[in-house]
Amino acid sequence: MSEAPPTIPDAAHVTLFGGGPPWHPVSASLATLRLITLGLVLGPVAIAGAVLAVLVSPWFAVALGAVAVAAAWSAWVVVRQVSATTWVELDEELVIRRGRLFRTLVSIPYGRLQYVDIQSGPLSRAFGLASVEIHTASPESGGVIPGLPVAEAEALRARLAARGEAQRAGL
Amino acid sequence: MSLADPDRPASGPVPPEAGADEGWQHLHPLTPLLRGGFVLLAVGYWLVSQGFDAILRGGGLGDSGGDPQADQVFAHPALFGLGAIAIVLAIGAVSWLSWRFARFRIGSGQVELRSGVLLRQHRQVPLERVQAVEISRPLLARAFGLAQVVVQSAGGRGAHLTVSYLALARAQAVRDELLALAGRSDERARVRRPDGIPAQPPAPGRAGSFLVADDRSPEERPVLAVPNGRLFVATLLHTSTLVLGLLVVVGSTAAGFGALGALTGLVPVVFGIGSNRVRELLKHGNFSVADLPDSLRVRHGFTDLRTTTVPLHRVQALEVHQPLWWRPFRWWRVRVNVAGIHDEHGAREETTVLPVGTFDDVLTLLTLIDARLDPAEVRTAATGAGGEPGWTAAGARSRLLDPLSWRRNGYAASADSVLIRRGRLHRWATITPHARIQSLTLHQGILDRWLGLASVALVSTPGPVRPGIEHLVVEEAERLVREEAARSRVARRPRDASCEADADPVD
Repeated sequence: MSEAPPTIPDAAHVTLFGGGPPWHPVSASLATLRLITLGLVLGPVAIAGAVLAVLVSPWFAVALGAVAVAAAWSAWVVVRQVSATTWVELDEELVIRRGRLFRTLVSIPYGRLQYVDIQSGPLSRAFGLASVEIHTASPESGGVIPGLPVAEAEALRARLAARGEAQRAGL
Repeated sequence: MSLADPDRPASGPVPPEAGADEGWQHLHPLTPLLRGGFVLLAVGYWLVSQGFDAILRGGGLGDSGGDPQADQVFAHPALFGLGAIAIVLAIGAVSWLSWRFARFRIGSGQVELRSGVLLRQHRQVPLERVQAVEISRPLLARAFGLAQVVVQSAGGRGAHLTVSYLALARAQAVRDELLALAGRSDERARVRRPDGIPAQPPAPGRAGSFLVADDRSPEERPVLAVPNGRLFVATLLHTSTLVLGLLVVVGSTAAGFGALGALTGLVPVVFGIGSNRVRELLKHGNFSVADLPDSLRVRHGFTDLRTTTVPLHRVQALEVHQPLWWRPFRWWRVRVNVAGIHDEHGAREETTVLPVGTFDDVLTLLTLIDARLDPAEVRTAATGAGGEPGWTAAGARSRLLDPLSWRRNGYAASADSVLIRRGRLHRWATITPHARIQSLTLHQGILDRWLGLASVALVSTPGPVRPGIEHLVVEEAERLVREEAARSRVARRPRDASCEADADPVD
């Protein structure tokens, strides 16, 4: 779908927060997906709490309340995290920003790319999403862009591979 | 298979694949003995002692006091002898077979090693993936004048290939051949070397001596050696030993000698710390560095003598470190990240190029590794207190997080590398060439957020050196990432464009 030539000639005012280069958001349905996952984890706990509250002791309602609060907080964090994840392709680097409480920015030169993985589990496939994992010679220096539409992820991988080839630098 | 082929010397059992067996070389015939050496010795000892036991007992008393086993043996010495001979023969046959089947060859772009009689193993390492070649000489092998060649490859875990054992001279020849071949298939993006270093005649290596590294090749130039006395003192001056010493002194004076009972509880701790220190000492003993045209040759080890060749163009980052306890002696340690040498079993020894040395040693070594480094800059990075021109410090905003070192923590960018320093009591300085940075990371935790700070990591390949600067003011951190991205962008370029651009500017 997005075959737009994405190179930003601007060598860019990359900052931890805010604008500058045209940052791309990840798909908003990633938040839905993560909320579903959260529900799948917390749902059984809540049900167990409710059953125990009815059958054993009403005190389990307190635990139920705690689960509800945790769920609400996690849901809020998940939504904020997804909206906080942005990425941009510069002339020679791919820059990814993630996280709210623990904010991280990674700037990976195309010339350092070793390989690019596309991953998508059953749930994210149902949403038509995939995550792009970028690997360099150092295991800690890679980056992940979660929740891109599959076509966009494929296109991004192709572009990254082509640029990596063109700008390849020896170790 | 048959002996019809006169060129093939004594081709006994079937070579695994006929036709593909040119250039295969055998290991040293003593290899099986060394591999299973201890087992063999133990079995032999057991047999002999059993035999003696029986004979002594039987011979001394005529009638051996009712021990049926001894009786039996004494009654049938021939049987006993036959059994012993059979066992020895069996061991010999197995050894011979394993020797027959263990072969290696270098050629057609790769190193190959075949081994195993029943479980055949065939390992190949492409020459262009060879990262380092090392000669290792465990104690037992050294007693027989043997050595093993360890080929480290970029394939990560389990991709190393060990050719053991060869006679020392042959091991050296194999090592040199491998290094030459691997160097040729490398893209030769070398750190250039200021020419005109007189090729000194090699030190007359005390050849054949049991305790000395005697595998010097003629083009080597000795650079430095670490005296074992200094190493001993430096190894003892470690936080763990000092804390322990303090604990013992304070404990025994406070509670008198009655506390000695409590001190026995410390025995495992003492043992742990002691073995840790001894291992360090054994690893770095007899440390010396020699200079080759485009690599460093590092020798070390008290019992297991190792020779490592560090190709200079694969050095990714350097670290100079001084623990507080070494400051009275002005000693420093230098470690490097080398591409392709992974942290497999804890700290890999190849990454320490100077376990303990004076600052002059440090400078000698650093300028050998990267000729563009300015000694004055390195000195400022290592010992500067803060506020020097060209240095950007973390600054007062990080005072809460780094109450002692906020003035000193900082970085400076030279033409070729980023110098980072941190720590006021224990001091560190890292040097990372712009062209070697893998990626840049900015990180901000919750506390950083409140204080308006952020940390920058200049990500290098895996290794002991992790260049990065913590708790910069956010805007400064962002500026560093921006500028460093631009600098490494430029620095990466010349190496694939043209080599001439890289060749001229040796100031």
